[in-house]
Amino acid sequence: MRETARLGIDVGGTNTDAVVMAGEKVLASEKRSTTADVSSGVISVVDAVLKKAGVGPQDLAQVMIGTTQFINAFVQRRQLTPVAAVRVSLPKTDGIPPFIGWPADLIDAVGEQSYLVGGGSFYDGKEYAPLDIQGLADAAHDLRARNIKSIAVIANFAPVRPDIERRAAEVLLQTLPDADITLSSEVGGLGLIDRENAALINASLRQLSRSVVKALTDAFEKLGIHAPIYLSQNDGTLISTDYATRFPILTCSAGPTNSIRGAAFLTGMQDAIVIDVGGTTSDFGFLVRGFPRETATPHLIGGVRTNFRMPDVLSIALGGGTLVRFDGSSPRLGPDSVGYQLSQRALVFGGRDLTLTDIAVRAGHARIGNPAAVQSVDQTAVTAVLDRIHLQMEDTIDQMKTNSKPVPVILVGGGHILISRPLRGVSEIQRPQHAEVANAVGAAISLVSGRVDKIFDFAALGRDGALAKARKEAVAAAVAAGAAPDTVEIVDIVELPMTHMRTGSVHVKVRAVGQLATAGAA
Amino acid sequence: MQTIATDLDIKDMARGAVFLGTGGGGDPYVGELYLRRQLVEGRSAQIIKADELPDDAFVISIAGVGAPTVIVEHLVSTRTLLRLLEMSEKYYGRKVDALISAEIGGANSMFPLALGARAGVPVIDGDGMGRAFPHLEMTTFSVYGCAASPCVLLDDSGNATYVHATTDRIAENMVRSVCASLGSMIYGAFYPMSGRQAKDLAVRDTISQTLEIGRRIRHARESQSDPVEDLLVLLNDPAAGRHARQLFMGRIVDVRHETRDGWHWGEVLINSGRGDEPEFSVEIQNEYLVARHRGRTVTVVPDLISVLDAESAEPLTAEMLSYGQRVRVIGYSAAPIMRRPEALRVFGPRMFGIEEDFRGIEELSTDSRL
Repeated sequence: MRETARLGIDVGGTNTDAVVMAGEKVLASEKRSTTADVSSGVISVVDAVLKKAGVGPQDLAQVMIGTTQFINAFVQRRQLTPVAAVRVSLPKTDGIPPFIGWPADLIDAVGEQSYLVGGGSFYDGKEYAPLDIQGLADAAHDLRARNIKSIAVIANFAPVRPDIERRAAEVLLQTLPDADITLSSEVGGLGLIDRENAALINASLRQLSRSVVKALTDAFEKLGIHAPIYLSQNDGTLISTDYATRFPILTCSAGPTNSIRGAAFLTGMQDAIVIDVGGTTSDFGFLVRGFPRETATPHLIGGVRTNFRMPDVLSIALGGGTLVRFDGSSPRLGPDSVGYQLSQRALVFGGRDLTLTDIAVRAGHARIGNPAAVQSVDQTAVTAVLDRIHLQMEDTIDQMKTNSKPVPVILVGGGHILISRPLRGVSEIQRPQHAEVANAVGAAISLVSGRVDKIFDFAALGRDGALAKARKEAVAAAVAAGAAPDTVEIVDIVELPMTHMRTGSVHVKVRAVGQLATAGAA
Repeated sequence: MQTIATDLDIKDMARGAVFLGTGGGGDPYVGELYLRRQLVEGRSAQIIKADELPDDAFVISIAGVGAPTVIVEHLVSTRTLLRLLEMSEKYYGRKVDALISAEIGGANSMFPLALGARAGVPVIDGDGMGRAFPHLEMTTFSVYGCAASPCVLLDDSGNATYVHATTDRIAENMVRSVCASLGSMIYGAFYPMSGRQAKDLAVRDTISQTLEIGRRIRHARESQSDPVEDLLVLLNDPAAGRHARQLFMGRIVDVRHETRDGWHWGEVLINSGRGDEPEFSVEIQNEYLVARHRGRTVTVVPDLISVLDAESAEPLTAEMLSYGQRVRVIGYSAAPIMRRPEALRVFGPRMFGIEEDFRGIEELSTDSRL
């Protein structure tokens, strides 16, 4: 009986990692270089990990993939499709048209075609202007003449009235039946510019997402794997390949999310700080009730501001390859690092640079390379460096915390040897097995979620009534995303009362999460 | 005359506007983009000194009124602002010679500049408070005899009304009601005044000040010098009655936020060492109102309190504060025109429920580096 076996894959910029899991158990893991075509790297790592686990392709129940392909393409302006913004907002917003503030190289890659037409709603959902059908039809004809097919439709207060965007899209499709339309309400919450930017980014990535998803599904086809395939999204939950093809932006920061979630799973902890100590940086994430805490401030993606939900990750320049220098007896750490050249440049590997890895070896906390090569490093200097490392770690942990209570810390990544002492403000330190493939484990254990981000009228509905409505909508969204209805739980409710508004208007955000419905039910 | 002509100027200004916003005033992001749009279209904002205006010139204030969550959705309409200008000229029966910001701290520092650039009207280097306050009557204009009303209110759909109130306190209530009935976002022309009044009543040179503050912080970061030290050098001008101090440096150990009757109330507690015993507190009512060190008041409204990120010296609004942040708190005396008895009767400590008399930062906080 192997039908519970799952394959988790992380397609990163450098490495493609894979794990096979059965229930709560990691059966095997593998790491390979990522290839330009994505699929040959995936085929090679999956083939290897299945053999190692002794699991056949037909035994897999699900395949879960986390990838940084889309975010990397956007940041590097590669393979982007020209886009157009159709904003439904007049007589409002004409002072700030779409694409204001976008970097020039991005405009070069995707253009800046935009149309403003009449329509949109107030915060309470009442329309302030009728949808301008003629204006939309004119825009559609112009788009056809320009041969632009990737379109973002953005309406004022669309999170409250998504139907306005849907109606606008229908009008466009009459003239442009093969248009590829992203509705802003599908990718973002309140804040028109940030939501519009997210929709435009998504539109520019759709063509690429189709080819990457096809490369992945072809790879599994070749491997004889017929299990359903899912992609991890930013909040650590899954979406179908079909959904990911339509909303590639939802997968943009799955990497750090999966690493935090993987760390949670490997330790069984629900609330902790996760530190991924790599060669160049240490990335601090905060695990809250099994999920990464998200940023509250606007987030830049490739130089464009979005209100996109991203895990709140704090990075400091401290890793195994960080260079150590001395101003007299006082050590200076980095911020530069030997990075991927650690295995040539560090003293213990016969190189000439003193790195933090060398310090850890000298202190006797790790046995790597040739310990004799660091015997000449002075003990008091080692102590001073260790003091500095732990102090920086403690300070960063403190910045991540929301109160002064001691928290547990989970260490993942190869650089965890740098931490050898108890840390102030930390209740315990965990170093789980399989920590080096925490990303792929995070993908393999993902759940599915649904969200609501809207203004509700507490005066009309009552607080209980309004919250019940919000919860119901979030659960419905989770089920629509593939969750088994009986497993869905509300994990987060945020209420933000608003100034300058009629009493009773409250901005409510609700998130629901559930387990993936089995293939048969989906 | 001075010109705002580059993106860098706008970013510096926005940073300075958040500093003078003393925690409130709203995120100037929408205004920043709107002003940037004018530059993209080849326009620039002309800033003049009040003294460059003839005494009989006609000046009005242009401001957006609304909830922050609504502004980020409805943004701003050039058509509305041009129409507002046109309606104001018709209503007041005078051509508008210059615009002036009522509130330099936060979002409303940017709209007059953008409209001025668009319509070719200069903007006076000054405003009605040199900081941010939540009410129409809390301006030097209002305190010294230039009322906010009669004012012109307009929404993007073309709904308009004129408010003629007997006091600016009542004008504030009426404007809020109109705002709520029009989807919680309107634009208004307030404080119609003469060139003479602008010279006598404005807090002077505050646009230049936002630019200088933003620029000084940026330069300090680029040259690796201490931004706060540089900022204190810039702000301290005892001959002009201006005093600035770093009040405290430490780590936020608690932030409390709540909304009471449409107001943002809160308190932030800061500690200098590694423990959690609060040593320093800042009380928030939309803006930072009073800073206390071990319970003793060190700066109180209308003097300015700004909280900066300890590393980058980026000024932080009250919504941006969170546990564990390392911050530096700066106190800065309000302009002398803001500290006279008649001004303190409108926006002194007691008007915000703080039961103490106003005393200036130079008296309360003699040590410049606690």
